[in-house]
Parts: sequence; structure tokens; C-alpha cells
Amino acid sequence: MTRGSKVFAIALAILFLTPAIALAGAAKTTITLWYPAGDITAGAAHFADKTLFTEFENKNNVKVEAVALDYDTMQQKIFAAAAGKNIADILFIDDSWVPGFLKEEMLEPVADAKAKAWLDAVSPEIRTLADYGKGRMWGYVQYGIDVYGLTWNKDQFKEVGLDPEKPPKTWAEFRDYAKKLTKRDAQGNITRVGYAIRHVGQPHGVVHKHFWAIYGAGAALIDTPLALRGGKYMVNTPGGKAALQLVLDMLDVDKSTSLNFPDPRAAFLKGIASMQISETVSIRARQPKEAPDLKWGMALPPVPKAGDRPATNLGGWLYSVPKQAKNKAMAWKLIEWINSPEKDYELCKQYGASPRYKANWEKEPFKSDSYDQGLKQLYPYGIKLPINLGFNGIMEATGNAIQKVWHHEATVDAALAEAERLANKAIADAAK
Amino acid sequence: MISERRRPPRQVLARLHSRHILHAYLFIAPVIILFGLFRVLPSVQTLLYSFYKVELLKGRFTFIGLENFSSLFADEIFRKATVNTLTYVITIVPISALLGLILAVLFNAPFHLKEFFKAVYFSPMVTSTVAAAMVWWWMYNPQFGIFNVLLKLVGLPEQPWLMSSHMALPSIIIFSVWKNLGYNMIIYLAGLQAIPQQFYEAATIDGAGALRRFRHVTIPLLAPTTTFLLIYDTILALQVFDQVFVLTGGGPAGSTNVVVLDLYRQAFQRYNFGYAAAEAMVLFLFIMAVTILQYYYSKRYEVAY
Repeated sequence: MTRGSKVFAIALAILFLTPAIALAGAAKTTITLWYPAGDITAGAAHFADKTLFTEFENKNNVKVEAVALDYDTMQQKIFAAAAGKNIADILFIDDSWVPGFLKEEMLEPVADAKAKAWLDAVSPEIRTLADYGKGRMWGYVQYGIDVYGLTWNKDQFKEVGLDPEKPPKTWAEFRDYAKKLTKRDAQGNITRVGYAIRHVGQPHGVVHKHFWAIYGAGAALIDTPLALRGGKYMVNTPGGKAALQLVLDMLDVDKSTSLNFPDPRAAFLKGIASMQISETVSIRARQPKEAPDLKWGMALPPVPKAGDRPATNLGGWLYSVPKQAKNKAMAWKLIEWINSPEKDYELCKQYGASPRYKANWEKEPFKSDSYDQGLKQLYPYGIKLPINLGFNGIMEATGNAIQKVWHHEATVDAALAEAERLANKAIADAAK
Repeated sequence: MISERRRPPRQVLARLHSRHILHAYLFIAPVIILFGLFRVLPSVQTLLYSFYKVELLKGRFTFIGLENFSSLFADEIFRKATVNTLTYVITIVPISALLGLILAVLFNAPFHLKEFFKAVYFSPMVTSTVAAAMVWWWMYNPQFGIFNVLLKLVGLPEQPWLMSSHMALPSIIIFSVWKNLGYNMIIYLAGLQAIPQQFYEAATIDGAGALRRFRHVTIPLLAPTTTFLLIYDTILALQVFDQVFVLTGGGPAGSTNVVVLDLYRQAFQRYNFGYAAAEAMVLFLFIMAVTILQYYYSKRYEVAY
């Protein structure tokens, strides 16, 4: 090779490599965020906005990539990705998944000082949800938390002579209202239920929708809800039995509910159920699209007898960082940015959600919004799911027991005795 | 003569080369390597996991011997899942085979638009199970589903379908029969077309009617096809998952919980990978036993023509 050829070859190589080197130098760090696709949670709606992270990206010279995953298999995908050490930097997760992830020591805790500052700044219900005991946080709770409430169809109340502004307050009233609201065709088949129940699908969902009755009657899923290990199953108690019996009586005695009806929210929005108890935020988000003419009210679930303390479930979604994340520091920075008081206000206002910061509750439109103020009446009675490492086993045992009773596969006593055995085994196994 | 073992390695290589044995191995190597990586290795890993308490993310594996298996046999949920799976298998395999055979016999005769109808019956087989199950979920809906609308039209009582613990498993079986029927039909059709015509001609000369010809010629000569379908359908049915996951999630009240769904839940919801591996091994051994049994039993019906 002549000298000239060598020089030419080197020059050519440099020419080829230059764009690659330039690109490599300019390549931005990509922060990935996984969230559930669809309308599973109203709190994930903003991820569809392509400009959501622009300000953060420009300030920090990074690229943020939000990826939607199928909700039904998201938990499994997260776990598989963590095992394969190829996971997103930020996970937007359902709080009911946290115990399972903690069991596998998968999540990074929020730094103590930052957790303390955040818990002090947010409203009590957010604090309840975010605090996993002694101020420990495993992520930042998203705005627009889920609080379950009784929702009722005001027109149907009027139609049967009930006051549309007065929901049932006790179980006796609830049964009476449900009977009055139930409609039948000429053959006697139920065409509208007074109260729609969730009795099919994943056991977890069944428990969520009947949580209000179990806790309202003084029972609980576990006696030590904020402990990761140990504890005793508490649904096989007089309160738990009464809670299961309540719906069983509505099915068999009152015939004011039915096993032939679909998901309570769907039934309510389609006008074939007059009352249902589930995530109010979901009804709020779906009603304008699915049932624009529906006039509905929202209240605390009924209690066994006047004077009892109501109970309802409180749930939410969290921004968390997995231990296997590649860009932890930047991930936390992004989480802190999107969960700042300013973004909380801006996004809640834009997406019609309820804010988290005490200071933001004092501002308009939240201060005067009737829905937001209605939620404030429900929050103090909200109970967070236990964080026990055997949580999934507890939920499966309870969900199966509820289904067995309502589907007449077992008596209340037999189903709850079996659930107690299985749940206590799950608690013990998880503690090993 | 020098034995192969005593030949110098270079000579052995040359011999393999000259006989194209090396080439043959080279050609099948990609398949063998991929099969080993994605089939054999995970299976061996599953077998190993079944003797351990597996904490995957912590990288902790604690040997516990047969504890996973002993817990499994005492587990009421697993027992129920096994019973449900067997009920599913025992029902779906003969029904699909019988209906497939009937359809194949019908399609074996010439008629107008035959190929079109064949494609119609086969189409569920090439449709995604999950997508089809989603559609059927709506069809089974007690309020708005087509099945109850049809029942109402003919004056029959509406059914709760997937909402009832008594009807959910039969509903899944109906869906699965619909899904598998086309495949069974095509395989039977191939079997029917392979039967030489002279057997039928001889039987006709001997005075056998259509029914006797079917009983004494068609059925025995289709025995290898039937054996294949029974083994294949049984293996598939024992692994049923997708349709159950989509249609019922195992409910109501565990009435449609099957072994693979339980295994999935143990692994990915409760993170008990060792326990789930033990379930997988039990299922594997069961499938193997059924297959061996069916294979040897079917040897009695082997035909050559």
C-alpha cells in the first residue's frame, strides 16, 4: 500500500466514524417509565401527553420515555424484567402490588428526609397511603387517589319515590332501598338490580368491592395491617360473617341483586344497577363518556347500624424506583419534579383530579369543586390495604370465600373457616 | 481393521467429513442449539427449582427437598384445579374428536362451496385465543350477549354462563370445542382421504351398507389418526390457560381454576417460583404418563395399507 493510499484510507475511516462519534457524544440518557395502558386509572391519563416531560427533558438534557403496559399482566412483566435486570427506571404501580414487590426486595425506599418532608406537606389521606410505617415510603402516591364510595342513580331514586339526595346510611336502609329499586320483566326476571355486586373475576377485585362491608362490620383482613410479617387473619369473625351474609340475603331473600349482572361500574353506567360501591374516581372519569345523562350522587358506604363508623378502602398508584433501575438518581429527580406542589396543582387542574398537597386544597378550583369536596368527606374513613408479605394469599383466600358463599358453593361459616386456614398459611409462609 | 475408537482424531474427522456427517450436524445445529436453550434448559431449570425455595430477585435458592411437592399434595386449591383440569380434558377431548370426525365425513363428500365452509370451520384455529375469548366473553354476557338473545328468541330460559360457578366451566369447554374443532376436522379429513377406496369397494361387494362400512372400515382405519388427535388434544387440554385467564380468571369461586392458571398465580402473583415449578413438574409427569399410555394402547390399533 502506498503512503497516499494509507492516508486516504485513514481519512475515509475518520469520515465514516465522525457522525457515529458525534452521535455518541450527543446521546441523551433515556429515563424509562412504565405505566398501565387504557383507563385503568385516571391518574395515568397524563402520560399520553407527549409534552408532559418536555420541561424536565430540556432542563436535564435527558429523554423520558413513558411506555404503556397491559394492566392485567403488568405486575408479571415488571417482575420478569427485574429478574432479567432490564427494567424501567420508574414504575407507576398499583399500591396493592407493593407487598409482593417488597417480598422480593425489589423497590428502592424514598430517602428518609425527603419522605418526611413530603408526608408533612400532603393531606392526611395521602399520608395514610404513602406511609408504610414509621415514615417509610416506597414511592410517591399519585394524585386522584381511589376512594370507594356508594354511588346512586338519582333519577331511579326519584322513580321509586326515594329522596334522590338521601342515600341509605344503614344496612337496613340499604336493603330496603335496593328492594325498592329492583325492576323485573313480565316473567319475573331481574332487569335492574338495586345494588350491583362484583362476584366474578380475580379474587382481589371481589375483595376490593366488598371491603366496605367487611371493615364496616368491624372485621379486617389482618390484625397487624402495617407489619410486613406475621399477624392473624381477621375476616372469620362475627363482623366478617355478617358482611358476607348481608349480600347473601340480598341475593336470596330480598332478590335485590343478582349474579347475572356484569361489573358493578359497567352496570351502574348502563342504568341496569341503581347503586354500586367502588372507585368514585372511576365513575367520575367514565360517566361523561359512557352515560352523559346520568345524574349520580356519592356518599360513604352504609354501616351495620346507626352510629357505627363507616369504612371504605383507600388505594392509589405510586411512582417508584426499582432496585435494578439503571438511572436511579435521575429517576428520583424526575419523580420529585412531577410530584412537586406546582406540578400537582397544574396537572390536577388540567385533568380534573383531586390534589395531594394541603396547600393546593386551599386553591381554586379544588376549594369549591363539589366533587372534590365530596371526596374530602370520604377520605377520613378510608382504610389502606395491609402491607403484609402474604397479602396476595390473604386476598385470594378472602375473594374465593366471598365467591363460594354468594355462588352457594359453601356456607358462610365453612367458606370463612377455609379462608382463615389458607390466609394464615400464606401469612406464615411469607414470614419464613 | 482399526476400530473407530482407535483411529487418530484427524482420521475420524476426515471420515466424518467424507460421509457428510459433519455437514448434517452443522445443518441441524441451529435447531438443536435453540431447542436446547429455550426448551431443554428451562425444563431442567424448572426441575431443579422444584426442590428449592426460590427467591429469584434476591438470588437466594434454599434446598428444601420434596417440601414443595408435599405441600402441593396437601393444597386444596391445587387439588380443585387438578379436578377442574381433568374434567375439562375428559370432556373436551372426546367431544372435539367426535365432532371433528362427523364434520370430516361430511366434508369428504363433494358439495357446493365446500372449500369455503372448510375455511369457515378452520378459521377459529388460526384466530388468537385471547382475541376470540374476548369476543366470546361478550357473547356470554347475560344481559347483552347473543347467546341469551337466541335462547330468549326460542323461548328458553336465559343462562348466567360465565357468571355462574356451575356453568362457567361448561362455557369454557364450549368455547374450546369451537376453537379446536376445525383442526380435528382437517386431520380427520386427511385420514379419511388416505383410506384406499378398494376397502370400501370390497365391503360394498360383500353387502355392507353405509353404516357398516363406516363402523368396520372407516373407524378402524382411522385409528392412527384418532390416536394422534387424542394425544395431541389431551396434551393441549392439560395445558389450558389462555381462555380461562380471559373468560373467568379461574372463578367464580375457583370453579374454573386450572393447573396452569394456579401455577401462573403462584409464580407471578405470589412469587413462589419453587412451588410453581413443582406444579409444572407434576403436570409434566402427568402429560408424559398419559402420552405413553395412549401411545402403547394405540399400538394395538395400528394399521398399514
